[in-house]
Amino acid sequence: MTTAIQTSGLTKRYRKVVALNDCTITVPEGRISALIGPNGAGKTTLLRLLAGLSRPSAGQAIVNGGTPRQDPAFLADIGYLGQEIPLYRRLSAEDHIQAGAHLNPRWDSALVRERLTGLKIPLDRAVGRLSGGQRAQVALALVLAKQPRLLLLDEPVAALDPLARRNFLSVLVDAVAMGSLTVLLSSHLIADLERVCDHLIMLASSRVQLCGDIEGLLAEHRVLIGPSKDTTAIERSQRVVQVTRTPRQTTMLVRLKGPVIDPAFEVSDVSLEELALAYLGEEVPPPQAPTHHLSSIAPGGTTPPYPPEPSAVHGDDQ
Amino acid sequence: MTWLVWRQHRIQYLIGAALLATFAVMIVITGEQVSHQFHTVQGCVAGHGCRDLGGLFMGSKVVGFLVIATLGTPVLVGLFWGAPLVAAEAEAGTTQFAWMQSVTRKRWLMVKIGWMLLAAAIWGGVISALVTWWASPTNAEQLNQFDPGRFDIMGLVPVGYSLFAVALGVMAGALLRRTLPALAITLAGFIAVRVVITLWLRSHYMSAVTTTASVLSGSTPKGAYWQLASGVLSPNGQPLPQADNTPYFDGIPQTSLPGACSVMNGPNAPNNPPSACVQALSHYHAYLTYQPADRFWAFQGIETGIFVVLAAAFIAVTAVTLLRRDA
Repeated sequence: MTTAIQTSGLTKRYRKVVALNDCTITVPEGRISALIGPNGAGKTTLLRLLAGLSRPSAGQAIVNGGTPRQDPAFLADIGYLGQEIPLYRRLSAEDHIQAGAHLNPRWDSALVRERLTGLKIPLDRAVGRLSGGQRAQVALALVLAKQPRLLLLDEPVAALDPLARRNFLSVLVDAVAMGSLTVLLSSHLIADLERVCDHLIMLASSRVQLCGDIEGLLAEHRVLIGPSKDTTAIERSQRVVQVTRTPRQTTMLVRLKGPVIDPAFEVSDVSLEELALAYLGEEVPPPQAPTHHLSSIAPGGTTPPYPPEPSAVHGDDQ
Repeated sequence: MTWLVWRQHRIQYLIGAALLATFAVMIVITGEQVSHQFHTVQGCVAGHGCRDLGGLFMGSKVVGFLVIATLGTPVLVGLFWGAPLVAAEAEAGTTQFAWMQSVTRKRWLMVKIGWMLLAAAIWGGVISALVTWWASPTNAEQLNQFDPGRFDIMGLVPVGYSLFAVALGVMAGALLRRTLPALAITLAGFIAVRVVITLWLRSHYMSAVTTTASVLSGSTPKGAYWQLASGVLSPNGQPLPQADNTPYFDGIPQTSLPGACSVMNGPNAPNNPPSACVQALSHYHAYLTYQPADRFWAFQGIETGIFVVLAAAFIAVTAVTLLRRDA
């Protein structure tokens, strides 16, 4: 199987800030890969490096079989849409369609027109006078019209209403099903991603936490719920991602190294959301704050699989 | 790429063309009047019947002001075309749209800059041609054609200035990525470079010619030469001090006149100096350092060349900046 994206030790530093650290990932061709992580985890940095918009400080990326570079053939195979949805505000959608037709070897003008007309978006109005959601739809239609082999989308659905989101994601699924398209999209909306993605890359604190097929990742993880007793045995036999203790019970999310044999613990499958939240750790606020304050996460009870961020370390007591 | 450039910048270009057309109409109409007036006056000069030369060209004061104002027209294209070229797109994020089509940044930049440089050259060239034509009657009077009020708005140099201004604007915009500071840098940089070159470098493009002649014979170079220095050397070869408020006699300050000529001072001076005085004066020499009139086009060429080279350097810096830096 060919790979659409392969990086090794990809690192990006901006002066002293490390935006992406030692990122090694593989995305096989034909997948829809979800790129998730808290704000500032390096998602945009990774996407920009893959698109060739910025250059790595260390490591390398192989995208569609080559390093990202200033070359029309490379650029023709990449579709990139940034968070800011860059479009010429004074130009209309139709102007953008024609610009794309002039600038790309493959270009499906009819597809954009059809899509935007279907969405009742006027083709002749300056893009700057469209609503945010309409602008996003224009940009998404344009990036699809380029017919790339790899689509890199940075929070593409953030500006869309739920129905438009669902509609757009199904368009993506169809496009992938029809040809040799690979998609890597970042989003905070895990429920959406769960529906369409079959591959996952999780970043936190500039590092890769997880990378692989979602099915496989879910199969490797379990939630264990049991009495609040000594858990060192389990911690020794499994890799504990997150522990939540209350006076009555202990909930653990573990990455399996072998079968769980302790009968005191009830073993259940994890959802993508549980998995994501566990790995993102304290960085994601829990849904019910009040009860949480009283008891749930014991200090030091979480075993982050990665070094905590400097801000999270309360070590100024000397 | 050209399609996009035209679609994006057509308003800028059309405004430029409209301004140029307006200017051309004013210049052509008043130029006809000026040249008519000039020929009338020339006729009366030939017939020694002129009474009011001072009134010449007074009918076109506004246009005369506009013509002098063309000293500033090159910087306009630097400000309104050059500076926003990269900066405005970087601010709006639209560089990302262009750079993620199947077009390299290099090609994007070269096509955009190429058309803009062509437009700037036309802008500078057309204005200069109009001004040169408009001013041809006064040029015929052999005034100092090296005067900044003339040299800098005629011939080739306005083309060089326009190219320079656009390139400076583009570079400032690419380096700063913000339009407003880029405008400030373009304006300040343009003025600074123009002033330095005009005041300190231009007179050195070619080594100046110095002539000396007896103050009695005297000699004036042909045509509209550019005088750099002049004065009188005493018999022992020392330049005489120049004082503004002293009366001069044959270019010699009264205070420095030889004794034999003292009779020439005062109210009872004879019409012709005594022979002893003439004898004494024959040892004084007037010198004149100047750039000959026929070097006008050489100077135009050198100055244009300097600005074109600067423009090329700025574009190279812009290209390196955009290709090396992260988008």
